[in-house]
Amino acid sequence: MSLISKTTILRSEGSVLGNIPVSSGLLRLDLELDQPVGFLPGQFAMLNLTGPLGLVFSRPFSILASDGDVLSFLYRVVGRGTSVMADLTPTAAMNCLGPLGRPFPEPDPDTPTVLIGGGVGLPPVAAWYARYGRARDTAFFGARDCQDVPWDLLDERWRISVDRMTELPAGREAWQGLVTELVDRDPELKAPGKRRVLACGPMPLLRAAARLAAERRWTCYLSLEEHMGCGYGVCKGCVVPVLEPAAGADGVRNATCCQEGPVFRAEDIAWQRPGYPSFEQVD
Amino acid sequence: MTVPAWWKTDPCQPFQLGPRTLPGRIWTASGCFAYGLTGHDIGSADLASPFLGLGAVVTKTVTPEPRSGNPMPRLCELPHGAINSIGLENVGFVAFCEEVLPALEERAVPSIVSLAATRPDQFGEMAARLNECGAGMTHWHGVELNLSCPNVAEGGHDFGRDPETVARCVAAARPHLTDRALLAKLTPNVADIGTLATAAGVAGADAISAINTVVGLEVDLDTGQPVLPRRYGGYSGPAIRPIALAKVDEIVQKTGLPVVGIGGIETAEDALRFFALGCVAVQVGTAQMRDPFAAAKMARALAGN
Repeated sequence: MSLISKTTILRSEGSVLGNIPVSSGLLRLDLELDQPVGFLPGQFAMLNLTGPLGLVFSRPFSILASDGDVLSFLYRVVGRGTSVMADLTPTAAMNCLGPLGRPFPEPDPDTPTVLIGGGVGLPPVAAWYARYGRARDTAFFGARDCQDVPWDLLDERWRISVDRMTELPAGREAWQGLVTELVDRDPELKAPGKRRVLACGPMPLLRAAARLAAERRWTCYLSLEEHMGCGYGVCKGCVVPVLEPAAGADGVRNATCCQEGPVFRAEDIAWQRPGYPSFEQVD
Repeated sequence: MTVPAWWKTDPCQPFQLGPRTLPGRIWTASGCFAYGLTGHDIGSADLASPFLGLGAVVTKTVTPEPRSGNPMPRLCELPHGAINSIGLENVGFVAFCEEVLPALEERAVPSIVSLAATRPDQFGEMAARLNECGAGMTHWHGVELNLSCPNVAEGGHDFGRDPETVARCVAAARPHLTDRALLAKLTPNVADIGTLATAAGVAGADAISAINTVVGLEVDLDTGQPVLPRRYGGYSGPAIRPIALAKVDEIVQKTGLPVVGIGGIETAEDALRFFALGCVAVQVGTAQMRDPFAAAKMARALAGN
């Protein structure tokens, strides 16, 4: 554990310690910082190159793990920023602002947890499982295919689904289909009782997780992904519509994903709010 | 950095702006550091607080009524800048006066309150109310009029494009701000910014803040549509710095009014370029989003001269 207070946000300078593929599409970045940075599962950090090479906006990445002054992240190359990142070699200079945002809740003693991660949305749930996971908690991970599963990060307790079945590593198992279907079919979870879902992944996964939780009357927390400008609540560029009866005529308020999230209760999200394409493109 | 020989000013020392003494010349720009209440929990190895050395935080623009802002996406990053369309999301003037302004005073954040309105007379009403609410406050230093909003009362044209309207907005606010600085923030999206600055100065502005963002648009090639739902946004960042320097120079040359320079300032060297043209202070905008310490680092780099 870090000596730094969990709530302290630090702007740190760092250098790349490792930057290697952990599956066909996911890379792991280990960043050595000038000071120890603690985090809670579900929190993220804003990363950027240092000096004149810096991008106009830093990029948000969920924190996978911390070890002293090393923070670890998973990412997939999706745009200009992550393309640049993928080419970084050890000792490359980066800066980091974090930990940021509201984390997933700590375990409830009376409630088993159902963790659902999809693709690059693995870090928050993997970090939660690593820190708090108990025998009665269950963890699920969905990937595109078997080659895109970061097997070394997932021990045998994880239940894996893949959209497309390809060659499995020796001794490992996977089920073909959506990860939320795998959760839905799980015999243990069909037993009545309280559960708490913690999910992070693409929007269709989050919606399906929220729907399943609502059907079974489970509580559900989702870690949302949004493009961000600042990551620390000053620019209002990453809002999520949340239900708040006192807020204006339609009872919806814009909450900053970076500061009030990225973890939201599924029931608080105004899924039908027009003008939010990331929500609307799903169904 | 090595400070050039011509630079003889310590930007962390107080200076006079109209009727007000401001604590320093490195400010943060409106919309880029929230209300000045965010970031107090951020530290770094070499600077304890992002607020160290700041002369003022220009608050996020406040409007008479609360605004929930524009739909997502609100930001579009480009190689040398970014287009934003936040939509003036803010808590509204009443909540600002009751909650935000007292909290800024309590935290000793030097502040300039950015105001926008849909009618010129509203600037006067808000300035009068601020003067009441802020009476006796020592850290609230003034008002910056955001004149880049549509003037609902006069056909929806931007206030900032018409010299007479600029003058009416400034004149409405001026009488209520006897011991606070009054700044008019001008848009660069005009043919003759000097005439607008002159109008603001004649109406009583203590200084001109220049520039606001440049109108911009980006197209998503997958859809063939503009990236931002409202099509246009405000372009900011290092790409607009030469535009800002030219507009600042035009205002200084034409009016001799004090100018607070804004536009793509990322480093102490960038700030010096604006000071070289005669700016009395500078504001750090987009760079503050990337690094909460951007302005504080500039203040440190230029302090002690």
